[in-house]
Amino acid sequence: MGTMVTMSEDRRAEGQLDQSPWDMASGAFIAWRSGEPGAMDELVSAMTPVLWHVVRAYGHDRQSAEDVVQATWLAFVRSHQTIKDPQAVASWLITSARRGAAAHARTARRALPVEDESLHAALPDTESAEALAVLGDERSRLWGAVASVDERCRKLLRVVAFMDRPDYQSLSKDLDMPVGSIGPTRARCLAKVRTALAKGGER
Amino acid sequence: MTDGDAALLEELRDMWTTYDPPPPDLVATMIAAVAAAELDDEWEMLVLMRDSADGPVAQVRGLGTSRILYFTAAEGWSLDAELDEGQVRGQLLDLDGDMGAVEIVVETSHGQTWETTLDDYGFFAISAEPTGSLRFTVRRDGHSATSRWVEL
Repeated sequence: MGTMVTMSEDRRAEGQLDQSPWDMASGAFIAWRSGEPGAMDELVSAMTPVLWHVVRAYGHDRQSAEDVVQATWLAFVRSHQTIKDPQAVASWLITSARRGAAAHARTARRALPVEDESLHAALPDTESAEALAVLGDERSRLWGAVASVDERCRKLLRVVAFMDRPDYQSLSKDLDMPVGSIGPTRARCLAKVRTALAKGGER
Repeated sequence: MTDGDAALLEELRDMWTTYDPPPPDLVATMIAAVAAAELDDEWEMLVLMRDSADGPVAQVRGLGTSRILYFTAAEGWSLDAELDEGQVRGQLLDLDGDMGAVEIVVETSHGQTWETTLDDYGFFAISAEPTGSLRFTVRRDGHSATSRWVEL
């Protein structure tokens, strides 16, 4: 454990505090592979919040999202040897989380009425709703705008927002879109959010 | 991506980060889960599949005070256990290998522990009246499988 703390401080001392979670993840993974057991904790700390958002993009409730994130980590423990490029560890984890979230959504869809599902995606949780009230205007307008666009856009935007280098190849497969249309679709979805924001502003 | 799009996407990321954060203990839970999975590859979970306490009343009726628990392990074998009047009895099913080399451990949340071995047919019996919560561990040549705590 002591090792981990020292390592984190070293990295911080090197002025890498502003590193993105994806860069921190590959740094930690390389360190772990070279024999620093504590670096695993850093990897998990850096990537768990990212995986959370990716999984929540699929509209899962908080408990299911937690389960999918945990399954992602356990899959990682089992198959990390298969990750050839350590720089790609974040992409590997994100892809694995997306697959898990999509599989879980297919199972859940059989059990849940559709309205419930879209509601989950559209509404913040009670605790976040409180945050919404406190933080007020600007971002809550953005939240409202995002909630008003279609589910497919919302999912794409949330996944892409938490991806390092959007991996269009695997995204296209998972979201059932041609590779060439992901960039334009993302742009269209962002335009929809802007339109909704503008409309909200006029009210 | 245009600068405007990149900026909006970043705003969205901040929004989700603020409004829908992971549960505060999620990172700690995941660190623990990874550590447990990594620590001991040999360790596995004995999964509770059936518990007479959850079953329909009709099934429990006639069994009197006994409680029947049925666990399975990923390797394919299973453990059938019955708690009744000062005894914990059971049988290990579908395990390839030497039954005589298998140890069964019963633990309670109060810290009591009982250990025994199996007979040639995979049966075991322990005189014990566990209270609180209990869990089973099945040990054999370096492998061990443990169940979660079952409330009695």
